[in-house]
Amino acid sequence: MTSAPEAPAPLLRAILRGVGWCGLGLIMVTVFLSDFLARAPAGWTDATVMLSPPSPAHPFGTDLLGRDMLSETLHGLAQTGGHALLGALVAILCGGLFGAVAARLPRPLAFSLRGTLGVLATVPALLLAILLIGLTARFYAPLVAGLAAAPLAFVRAFDRVEVDSTHSEYARATGIPTMTLLRRDLSYEFHEMLGSVAARALAAVTIIVSTASFLGFGAEPPARDLGLMIAAGKATYLAAWWTAVFPAAALVILILFARLAAGLGEGERP
Amino acid sequence: MRSFLARQAVRLVVGVFGAALIAAAISAIGAPHAHGLAPFFFAAVGRLVHFARGDLGQSAISGLPVLQVLAGSVPQTLLMVLEGACLALVAGLPLGLLATVGPTRRATAPLVQIVTATPVFCAGLALAYGAVHLLHWPVSVNMPVGASVSPDQALQIAALPVVAVGLAGAAAVQLALRRAASEASGGAFRSGLKRLGLSAFEIERRFVLPQVLAGLVASAGEIMMALLSAAVVTEWVFHQSGVADLFVKSVALADWNMAAIVVFIFACLTFVAEFAGRIASRMLASEGRP
Repeated sequence: MTSAPEAPAPLLRAILRGVGWCGLGLIMVTVFLSDFLARAPAGWTDATVMLSPPSPAHPFGTDLLGRDMLSETLHGLAQTGGHALLGALVAILCGGLFGAVAARLPRPLAFSLRGTLGVLATVPALLLAILLIGLTARFYAPLVAGLAAAPLAFVRAFDRVEVDSTHSEYARATGIPTMTLLRRDLSYEFHEMLGSVAARALAAVTIIVSTASFLGFGAEPPARDLGLMIAAGKATYLAAWWTAVFPAAALVILILFARLAAGLGEGERP
Repeated sequence: MRSFLARQAVRLVVGVFGAALIAAAISAIGAPHAHGLAPFFFAAVGRLVHFARGDLGQSAISGLPVLQVLAGSVPQTLLMVLEGACLALVAGLPLGLLATVGPTRRATAPLVQIVTATPVFCAGLALAYGAVHLLHWPVSVNMPVGASVSPDQALQIAALPVVAVGLAGAAAVQLALRRAASEASGGAFRSGLKRLGLSAFEIERRFVLPQVLAGLVASAGEIMMALLSAAVVTEWVFHQSGVADLFVKSVALADWNMAAIVVFIFACLTFVAEFAGRIASRMLASEGRP
């Protein structure tokens, strides 16, 4: 039987958000220092240590080509993190920000946009991303992942503005211009939630970027990407678990920190 | 209730029409001589007219009618999604209800965060690894094409993708339940009902539970999207040849007509799930209204 869950304590939520942002900060530092921290440059192979299990010489083991998995995971994290940041920026601009602005456009135009993007939001974002990458090129995968996540972000931002709210009606009745209302929305609502919106977009785009890479629609070899590394490890991971587990763990940690930083409420999706 | 039904029906029709427009636009990309805005527009309108007449065109890869290709792959994916949905409800609903009980909710919150932060392809690969090393099951992940297996092994091989889709669905059910329970917790009716002499258990059973379940079915569209997204990845991971796998191959080989129809099917499934979910939610919520 369900009992009513209490709202999460603000302190606990603030701590979790803090942990999330600290984690993302640590990942960012690791990404910036990846070339320094990695023991070997990206793609460097050593045929004498193929599929070597984790050891002091290779803490994360080596893959089928003898690449050091620790170095490769760091390079892959840098690539995935960088792409996800770019995609998240696109999702914020084309989704969250555009949704907030569109809600204050003339009603027919605003609701036409809401309807069109509402239809796009019913198609899984991964499918949209694959479709858009197919139409453009794999090089644009990060931008496209952001665009694929944008419809849902647009719909959320549009609905959050509450076009028909009492304050909007009073404002319109008293002749307050739409631009003033829009400025109010952006400064009070969007501004306050920017960190949460950004972290939420980062989590969503990271999943799309890495899954697209795993399916062969993202990063192209020799570029390293966590999704691509897991796809490469798929051939050997049943016998050599370390070829997929470490990149997968890095990916899950990145998404988890982004979700924590977003401060998602009970049952909220990124 | 009648006006609510009419509103939802209009939403469904408008949504399906919107999905058809988008599908026609995608399909027109592959049309010959559709370069430039005006030719593209006319090609898209032409495709829309053909769709309305039931002519879905031909696959650019195989040259077969799209309907014929879909008839071979849609049932497999729909079956997997359906089985996954059943599993999601069978596993996700009791676990979700248990996990929303006061102290358990706090204890399970980090686990839910970690589970929902795991991409489906990672979960699918982990599942396959566990099946091989713990259960000693054969898996299709790295199996050579045409490898012979016994009927028992075939069943084990077929079970894993369903479990992967079901787990993704269960995670979506879990999120929807938590959200609904969280919203129901704000209801001001509890104190009033307590003053009327109802026990806490009775309030939960007669008033809160229907609202939580109503919240769950209202998220049917979201759960359907989670199942479809999981199906796309799972078919790829486990080498299943369903409609999701067909979509990935169609995009890779620029068969835009086929890709457009698959997008249309997926959007329609989500719209229908949303439509049914909203109506069921309304009925459940009115039952539990104090």
